[in-house]
Amino acid sequence: MKNGAKALLTLPPAVYLFLFFAVPGLLMLLASFRFPGDYGGLAPWYYVEDGAITFDLTLENWARLFETTLYLQLLLKSLLFAVLTTAICALLAYPLALTIAASPKKHRDLLILMVILPFWSNFLVRIYAWMIIFSPQGALTEGLNHITGLLGLEPVNLMFSSVAVITCLVYVHLPFMVLPLYANLEKHDPALLDAAQDLGATRAQRFWKVTWPLSLPGLYAGAVLVFIPTLGIFAIPDLLGGTNGIMIGNVIKQQFVESRDWPFGSVLSLVLTGITLVLVVLAGRLGRTPGALT
Amino acid sequence: MKKLVTAVVLSLTALVSPAQAQKTLNLFNWNDYIADETVARFEQQCDCKVVQDYFSSTEEMMAKLLAGGGDYDVVIPTQNAVEALIKQGFLMPLDKSKLGNVKNMGPGFMNRSYDPGNQYSLPYAFTTTLIGYNENKLQELGIDPSDWRVIFDPTILAKIKGKVTVMDDSEELIAAALKYLGYSVNDTNEQHLKEAQAVILKAKPFWAAFNSSSYIKELTVGNIWVAHGYSSDMFQARSDAQEAGRPFTVGFVLPKQGAVLALDNMVIPKKARSPELAHQFINFMMAPENAAELTNIVGTGNPNAEAKRLIEPEILAINAIFPSEEQLKTLETISARNSKERRFTSRLWTEIKVR
Repeated sequence: MKNGAKALLTLPPAVYLFLFFAVPGLLMLLASFRFPGDYGGLAPWYYVEDGAITFDLTLENWARLFETTLYLQLLLKSLLFAVLTTAICALLAYPLALTIAASPKKHRDLLILMVILPFWSNFLVRIYAWMIIFSPQGALTEGLNHITGLLGLEPVNLMFSSVAVITCLVYVHLPFMVLPLYANLEKHDPALLDAAQDLGATRAQRFWKVTWPLSLPGLYAGAVLVFIPTLGIFAIPDLLGGTNGIMIGNVIKQQFVESRDWPFGSVLSLVLTGITLVLVVLAGRLGRTPGALT
Repeated sequence: MKKLVTAVVLSLTALVSPAQAQKTLNLFNWNDYIADETVARFEQQCDCKVVQDYFSSTEEMMAKLLAGGGDYDVVIPTQNAVEALIKQGFLMPLDKSKLGNVKNMGPGFMNRSYDPGNQYSLPYAFTTTLIGYNENKLQELGIDPSDWRVIFDPTILAKIKGKVTVMDDSEELIAAALKYLGYSVNDTNEQHLKEAQAVILKAKPFWAAFNSSSYIKELTVGNIWVAHGYSSDMFQARSDAQEAGRPFTVGFVLPKQGAVLALDNMVIPKKARSPELAHQFINFMMAPENAAELTNIVGTGNPNAEAKRLIEPEILAINAIFPSEEQLKTLETISARNSKERRFTSRLWTEIKVR
């Protein structure tokens, strides 16, 4: 009976995953071996001639991925951007989450609210705000160039650069790191720290031996939530990236929109999905390391 | 936490506005391609609401329409897209009995090869793709903007590095590079197209961005000194800069090697929800006073013969908007490429973006 209830509970997510992940994934896999249609979409994958079925499939789209190193380089660059974004988010979010978790209970909700607050305005509006901040006429760039001028250095250009892209990626994804970390840190039993102190642990030891290992599952959860959307994003590099700031998501979007080459777009998407799956499984393994609270 | 959830739910419900009982015209148009005044007047006249969606390249528009996105009543495609949409059986034949203002259109713009007899489309406006620039800066640097070298020649670009944007549009940018090399914009020779790609790749490190949507703003503010874009957009950048009292003027000029001329048209998709209203809109846009606003406010070229007398003479005199006979000879319209050619150029374009 207990098993039956369990199966019933897991049914909706399983159906969801089947319909919205497995089925589209398989469709894309088939699409990746087909030819693009004349005006977008896909060419028929078989045709019947004199009663005989001829298949019109190709390996060309997959071969194209490896013909030059361009696409692999771009994948590597996107991974680097995503890792960097995740690392910076973690560095910024950890102290913040720790501070919120350690503050008096009555203030915590307000502080968390302030973390989520930016979500209430449209994503694109926030990116456009950054475009103003980064523009050569903006106070930030002018101030910075005043300093570089004093030091006798070349003026810097922030707009349309990788710096602008990563700054915005961090800005947009920071709450996804703060929330799981906070949820984890808040649950820590303060008695553990008291016990450690009683046993003579210094402040640093208490952090590294108690808080840090206990917080790792929250950190991994946050890392996954930041890393995955960052890896596939295209809007931020589109608006702020300039000629060299693009990521793999831009090229995928380009295949489906401007180039109308769905097969090659499918190839790139599948590769990205594959990489993401491997990383999520890895993070899941890490998250279950012994010593972690469940 | 509960309070927080309530607050979120409340603020979300506030965003959902009550349902509109009014008729709606869904217009799929180029960005910045109709004056607010014109839209407001149409809304008043038809007692309806105009909802606009925007695109910034033909490819983007085609992808969205052909993937089945958006039930639009009127779309404003360029001539080569009209041809492709007709071939796809995507358009509704126009009912000329509802379009009395057709008589106002200039004969040179009617009955063109992309839609003989104007069965599916009627001309809306025309633009050229050219160079917009910061007059003061280029004068200071002694750079001649009336030559495609200003966006393609590294020796010139070295002086304006990071201050140049080009269109994020494979058709337009490759066409410009082909013109720079002295070829036709419709050249299908793969070797020539590869040469164009090489030109673009050599110039790319000097460009700030591929940009088809915000170069008006960047030019107006002074962030960018040279932009590759549509004549109507440059016209707006110039008036915006004037209105904002900027210490510089924005100019625009047709490169001497020639450029792309785009004839934009009004069409009605087969699956339009209010074809009646769509016809009303098309007829409205062909009325001289409304057509004239396209030029006077938006800065487009105008195919409406009757509207000419309402157009401000100083705009009529701008060659980049109303090209002279001489210049018309150097201008070309882009024709639809077949699927093999399209695959080849889209591949070149992907490589341009990735490299």
